[in-house]
Amino acid sequence: MIWLELAIIQRALAGCLLAGFLTGLIGVFVVRMRLSAIGYSMSHGAFAGAALGVATFVNPLLTALSFSAVTALLIGPVADKARLHADTVTSIAFPLNMALAFIFLTLSPQIGLSSEVASVLWGSVISMTNIDIVFLTTLCAAAVAVIHMFWKELFAIMYNRKLAEADGINTQPFVYFIIFLIGLVVTLSLKLAGGLLIFALLFNPASSALQFLHDMKKIVIVSPIVGAITCISGLMVSLVLDLPIGSCIVLVSTFIFAFSVLLSPKRKRKEVNR
Amino acid sequence: MPLKPIIQLEEVSTVYEGERRPAVSDVNLKLDQNELVYVVGPNAAGKTTLLETINGLLPTFKGEVSVFGLNVRARGKDVRREIGYVPQDFMVEPGEPYMALDVVLMGRYGKMGVLHKPEKRDLEKTMEAMRLMGVDDLADRPMGKLSGGQQQKVMIARALAKDPEILLLDEPFSNLDPDSRVKIPELIGRIHKERQMTTIIVTHDVRQMMKQCRRVVVMNNGRIVADQTPEKALAVLERPSVSRSVEVAP
Repeated sequence: MIWLELAIIQRALAGCLLAGFLTGLIGVFVVRMRLSAIGYSMSHGAFAGAALGVATFVNPLLTALSFSAVTALLIGPVADKARLHADTVTSIAFPLNMALAFIFLTLSPQIGLSSEVASVLWGSVISMTNIDIVFLTTLCAAAVAVIHMFWKELFAIMYNRKLAEADGINTQPFVYFIIFLIGLVVTLSLKLAGGLLIFALLFNPASSALQFLHDMKKIVIVSPIVGAITCISGLMVSLVLDLPIGSCIVLVSTFIFAFSVLLSPKRKRKEVNR
Repeated sequence: MPLKPIIQLEEVSTVYEGERRPAVSDVNLKLDQNELVYVVGPNAAGKTTLLETINGLLPTFKGEVSVFGLNVRARGKDVRREIGYVPQDFMVEPGEPYMALDVVLMGRYGKMGVLHKPEKRDLEKTMEAMRLMGVDDLADRPMGKLSGGQQQKVMIARALAKDPEILLLDEPFSNLDPDSRVKIPELIGRIHKERQMTTIIVTHDVRQMMKQCRRVVVMNNGRIVADQTPEKALAVLERPSVSRSVEVAP
């Protein structure tokens, strides 16, 4: 029994470390490229996918992943076609996914808001499986490798897409890739905090790092570390106080952000200038 | 045999999305290698649109643009790798977390190609451009902390660091202090001669063009209304219908 609990805690810790790192890393792009709607749109895409999986007796994680991946793949091209910002198209995808989720749940009333579907919404890091950890590790390695490989282009696009284009960089595939990567990271991290709370993990670590650093190259290193520390601390707080893990992670993350704002040297300088 | 023009626009019109009236209409323009041309005209004359049509950032509605003999619509990215471009009034937010050195180095990214990391030569070119603009001491300062004039010099350095064959500058001196307003255009003129760069400068300041170039393009209502020597262009600019918003020399 103790070994079983230990294994669950180990998986939860590994999940927190990996998902915290990933959301912190990808959050830098979300913040810089102003893709605020993408967090909740992807998580609700995953929710719809999980609902479909439960209704059709297919592994909900796979259907959740497929739904988010399709949503993420479509956002970039649709935004370009409709000449709208990706964030606007993401906001259109959000209610669509929710509508589909409710239809799938209605079609299988005997299942309703089953634990698998609910875990996508509320998070359930304790229910992390070895497969989840393998997926997260693979995605972590792939994301770091690809971002390192194309850092030059991504760095320029985050500064200003039009200028990057003016310098002869083909920005479109990189923007599509980042949106797709955000979709994958959000979906695979849903068990950490759930679709309703994952938002905080996309914004808070990068925003906290921005309070102290002036250099994007440092921010992209510090933000994932802040994300990982946040998630592990949130898990510890939750275990000690016996409170929901996702909520504790978000509270710790918000506390770190608030603390960063208070301690920010940027803010102090502004006050001195006044 | 006469040389092929390095920039050629034939009956070009560019329309912004959602607009009916073209921002530039039926423009014909040829520039040979190593030419320095000033483009002047009142606000909304189509000057910025002309530059962004040349580098292919804006697609043409009608006509053909070729640069280095390449069709810009089809080969825009290849063309832009050899064009240094400074957009109008490019300012960043105070908290912008990008170092001036990185911003200048970025100018070379397209030219380096995907998967290639910056090398020693790229850093040398970057520092050389920053020294030319007098901003080498700002290399490790965040862009958001620089003044408008310093940011503008960094942006010019970014365009020069690329070692471009064509330089397109859109109101590049508007935020500079009075001293730099004299020195930087002279410096650009010198670099243009030394590097034999085809250069187009959009400006409101006619005094500059009078001193520096032999050819001025005057735009009004999206059309080229004169393509003349500075003296003749000045006469066109003094027409009441054109002179709005242009600082005509006393």
